[in-house]
Amino acid sequence: MMDDSISRRRFVQATGLASAVALAGCSGGDGGDGSDGGDGDGGSDGGDGGSGSMGTLEVLHGWTGGDGAKAAEELTTVFEEQHPDIETEFNPIGGGGNENLDAVVANRLQSGDPPSSFANWPGPNLLRYEGALGTVDDVWADAGFEDVMVDEAVDLHKQGGSFRAVPLGSHRLNCLFYNIDVVEEAGVDPDSLDSVSAFADALDTVATETDKIPMTHGMQGTWTTTQLWAAMMLGQEGFDAYMNFIGGDGDESSVRATFETTATVLENYINDDASTIGLTGSNENIINGEAAFIHQGNWAAGAYRNAEDFAYDEDWGFVPFPGTDGMYTLHFDSFLYPSNNPSPEASKTWLEFVGSEDAQIAFNQFKGSIPTRTDVSMDQFGPFLQETAEDFANAEARPPTLQHGLAVEREKMTALNDVISSEFTGPYNVDAATSGFMDAI
Amino acid sequence: MPGIVSRLRRAVGGDSDTTADTTGTDARPDGGTVTEGTRRERRGPIERVGQSLDDRFGGDFVESLPFWLPPFLLMGLFVYGAIVWNLLISLTDYQGFAQAPDYGNLDFEMYVRAATDSGVIDATINTFILIVAFTSATLVIGLALAILIDRGIRFENTFRTIYLLPMSLSFVVTAQFWLWMYNFNNGVVNIALGTFGIGPIDWIGNSSIVLWAVIFALVWQFSGYAMVVYLAGLRAIPSEHYEAAKVDGASTLRMYRRVIIPQLKGATISASVVLMVFALKAFDFLYSLVSNFRPPNGADILATKMVREAYSNQNWAFGAAIAIILFAMALSIIGPYLVYQYRRGNL
Repeated sequence: MMDDSISRRRFVQATGLASAVALAGCSGGDGGDGSDGGDGDGGSDGGDGGSGSMGTLEVLHGWTGGDGAKAAEELTTVFEEQHPDIETEFNPIGGGGNENLDAVVANRLQSGDPPSSFANWPGPNLLRYEGALGTVDDVWADAGFEDVMVDEAVDLHKQGGSFRAVPLGSHRLNCLFYNIDVVEEAGVDPDSLDSVSAFADALDTVATETDKIPMTHGMQGTWTTTQLWAAMMLGQEGFDAYMNFIGGDGDESSVRATFETTATVLENYINDDASTIGLTGSNENIINGEAAFIHQGNWAAGAYRNAEDFAYDEDWGFVPFPGTDGMYTLHFDSFLYPSNNPSPEASKTWLEFVGSEDAQIAFNQFKGSIPTRTDVSMDQFGPFLQETAEDFANAEARPPTLQHGLAVEREKMTALNDVISSEFTGPYNVDAATSGFMDAI
Repeated sequence: MPGIVSRLRRAVGGDSDTTADTTGTDARPDGGTVTEGTRRERRGPIERVGQSLDDRFGGDFVESLPFWLPPFLLMGLFVYGAIVWNLLISLTDYQGFAQAPDYGNLDFEMYVRAATDSGVIDATINTFILIVAFTSATLVIGLALAILIDRGIRFENTFRTIYLLPMSLSFVVTAQFWLWMYNFNNGVVNIALGTFGIGPIDWIGNSSIVLWAVIFALVWQFSGYAMVVYLAGLRAIPSEHYEAAKVDGASTLRMYRRVIIPQLKGATISASVVLMVFALKAFDFLYSLVSNFRPPNGADILATKMVREAYSNQNWAFGAAIAIILFAMALSIIGPYLVYQYRRGNL
């Protein structure tokens, strides 16, 4: 009994001591962090008196791996070369479809500690940040962005009549990639696919003629299916029906027809392990010659470029998604400008840089996207991106992407994905999915 | 002030005689004997306040202050303060970034919305199934393993380590393991079942199976923990009980059922509380499984739903309401346990 009370007392004392030390350690660490933030201006020579007052430029983005990381590094290098007097802090925050980045940005905006600028999608997606974004009308005016950016960019970067962001690059969404060996083995000519029904026939041919996967699909997240549905809708029901749908004035029968076709494809022609793989795994099937087709944004091509012995027009090919020839499904990667900005001047310098020719070339050639400016020389880009840029410039219509913020606001996008998740991840319930989509928009 | 310092020093010094000697006020021959009854010379008002506090809250109140007060304040502010604040937010209509939450106009609208939202209801049911099925399965398997290991088998320590190892792995690692193992085409699970002519089964893609697949993976990870807790319980049972049962002619099965397992009640309760808390934290596992906030259809739990509402939709108030529902569930588990322990005099 005595021993017991002694050891308990000792234990309590030791614990108390340990937590007191830990506490001291914590507060010490905090102090260290604070001073870390304060110093680090070794770069500035002090020649420019103004630089001190500009504050540190802190940029958050989500490009942590592969092409994205390289592109972001290139972008920051060029910026630092052009603006050696600005202190910079680039914080990449990785993780599933920018979710971690969004969460960090949300927390910081909410607690009144916004970064200088952060990457996100413009368009209706800006609505979620309503009231938290400042205006950059002066940047657009000074740099003359309205004249050089593609027309759609002008409206999509405005909120409440003012510009809130500057676009950096654009991916194309209505892409169908294929493995040339596999389609040749099946005897399918991708260039002849001019409609969704022709595409379904081609998938059937692949299924019967070869033992390969007709269309590879990663369903680990719901976004791939939502974006496939959007491409199907554009291809099958046309531009107007799609625009009516995202405008909230959708025709129930065209939504239903799209779900029916999509269900046919997903039920019969995709890989069995779709539910356990994501985009990367799905894309591997194309590279390894396991699958004939994949629908994705053209970021998928980045993996082909990095794969060994996998060349454009020899091993893999591209056609616009069947039925969407002449369209360019539009996506933007942009940098947004929070109000209550910690470094207004530096942030605006950064945004002006983001929209510049140098920045767009530096970033997009590595990211696998194309500049949003129409006056940029595409010499430094590969043949695939050169073709994409040509299609971009000559597109008859540029419908906004459904899954990447340009068509509907965030809450609706989440609702659409909830519908896909609960009704359309197998078994495919066309009725419920149709009414879910009609209700969501 | 010097009085407090000396008390502090004495307390820190513990039962070390030298420290106690230097304080001079009351030398302690050994630390274990100092109790409320110890007489001390009282000097000055501070000492007197200290004494009255000691009388009010029990001995050592002032001495122990430096140790428990900082963590008490930190816990009070960051845990309980945050819970109260969260409750307040859940009563507002706060969403987006534009406006601050309006605390002047509180109502239960968000809870009504949660009660009528089919997504929240499904998530609640899934969370409940997860807690009950995971905890009971883990306890049963843990008990079985513990009994087997306690029978004095060879390589006992090796087996114990093997069973406990999965628990030392992070959810991120185990989720990735199981994602591979559940792969439809080339996952170990389907290949193994295939040799018996079963399957293949779409573990993750089938909405009526996926929750059980997740539960199975979690049971795999935590049954080793339940085993260790039970093993400690078994080791505490005197061997006389086994012998007495044998002498009375009980079969092994009967001995365990009637004599041994009833004595493991304390271990069962402690383990199940910890396991239930782990079940509530299955968020990590699900997030790592799909690398986003939306688990496979049929495996949505309140934690993932809450994060989605808060961070994808900026519905802060709604997310906070879901968080409070989750908190209430956790409290309904922990509460009875605390009461039970208090009644037994363990708290």
